Amino acid sequence: MIRNFFIYLTVLVVGILFFASMVLFAIPAFQESTIVLAGLSANSSGASDAGADREAIETDISKLQKKLDSFTPTNAYMIVNTSDNHFYLYKGKQLLRDGVCSTGKNEKLVSAERNYEHTFYTPFGVRKILRKSTNPVWKKPDWAFIEDGMPIPSPNDPSRWETGTLGAYKLEIGDGYMIHGTIYKRRMGMSVTHGCIRLLDEDLEAVYKTMEVGSKVYIY
Amino acid sequence: MKENSVEDFDSLFVEKRSGVRKYIILIIVLSVLGLTSIYTYLSVSAVRDRMKVAHDLAQGSPEINSSLFKQLKEKAWLESRIKMAANDSIGLSIDLEQLRIQLELKGVVVMSSKIRDCSVSGFFRKMDGNVYFTMFGTPLTIEQFKSSIAKNPFKVVEAPKDTIAAQAAADAAAKKDSLADENVFWTVKLNRGFDLDIQGIDSIAEAQKKYEFGKGFEFERNLKNIVSSFQHILKFSKPSYTPEILISIPENEAKAILRALPRNALVTIKI
Repeated sequence: MIRNFFIYLTVLVVGILFFASMVLFAIPAFQESTIVLAGLSANSSGASDAGADREAIETDISKLQKKLDSFTPTNAYMIVNTSDNHFYLYKGKQLLRDGVCSTGKNEKLVSAERNYEHTFYTPFGVRKILRKSTNPVWKKPDWAFIEDGMPIPSPNDPSRWETGTLGAYKLEIGDGYMIHGTIYKRRMGMSVTHGCIRLLDEDLEAVYKTMEVGSKVYIY
Repeated sequence: MKENSVEDFDSLFVEKRSGVRKYIILIIVLSVLGLTSIYTYLSVSAVRDRMKVAHDLAQGSPEINSSLFKQLKEKAWLESRIKMAANDSIGLSIDLEQLRIQLELKGVVVMSSKIRDCSVSGFFRKMDGNVYFTMFGTPLTIEQFKSSIAKNPFKVVEAPKDTIAAQAAADAAAKKDSLADENVFWTVKLNRGFDLDIQGIDSIAEAQKKYEFGKGFEFERNLKNIVSSFQHILKFSKPSYTPEILISIPENEAKAILRALPRNALVTIKI
């Protein structure tokens, strides 16, 4: 009786293994085979005299390629990779400089006590340099005090003004976001900012001198 | 005449039982073969149904001269990328001829990566003419994302009560977003009925190692396939056939692309 049970079990296990290997390997391979896929090539006529058509299509291709190339700015522009915290400074197709940067920390700061919340992230998309300035002074917004566990001062309180924090240069890209320097150099390459793009001093100087007002910044 | 003994009677019974055993084994073998045949038939008809859908969509388009196919394909690829550039969001372009995957924003290539390895369903290799242009002539739209890592990792942080708590929070936040021990793979459903799978690998050896330890992308897919196959057999229903494009690129780039693409991003493909 027990012997019979083991024989049935063995046959059953072998059967299941056979079936599993068919489902995993043999049937998918058969699905991709020529016999099954025959007949998908339709509506294509044979190679006829297509000289004139070919020329016309090649002219179109050349025009389309030019149009596509025209999307790339000819003046300086910057690409920021927020995933790797890396920036690239280009002029046309030529890479002028690249290096480490810091971008938004993707965090929502919530204070139930003060009924306040603010989201820190670097927005993706295309932006333009709106303004440039040297030796910027930072006017600390409310979130800077909430994040530091401090009381929020009045809008024009002197404690809101801070020098040196943003480095030697500042390039504004709209909605309060900026490209600037930092005093927290050991955190470069990390997603730690409140949404701005932080650069090291030498990189910031190169970007400041190369990018004009109106230059594009591509962020992803 | 010899009289029947007790032994003779027992031997008759054992013989009968052995016949039943053979009969049961035969039933099991025939059942397995029957189920396999049914499943093969259902799987093949699923492919044929998918092909019919592709043909129906392409019907009515003008005939394409096969000698111009290469040029027309290049033209369609450029036109598709220009259409994608008209969109404000980041799009993905995949050139399987040049083995290159790119993120494009308003027509500007913001990231370009060499494809290390790729595999394409036979469905794509077999199609030509109008079916190709119906599938890839214009940008595709992503309908669904599935990924092994968070697509948009966002933390909610309670504001600190005082300056000491604030300092501790700042130190904790400085920890780098590391890729250690992360398997980066993601798959998207595209609006023309096929899947695009992206696997992050830094070397072929690493990919094989992951597969051996059962952590890899293909292992998980195989497991899902087998479970779904049994479900279809139990219901005697046709399994779905979804053609796939599997692309392997470096892990950090697979992660960057996943996080950069918006939910309904446009994708342009050249095969």
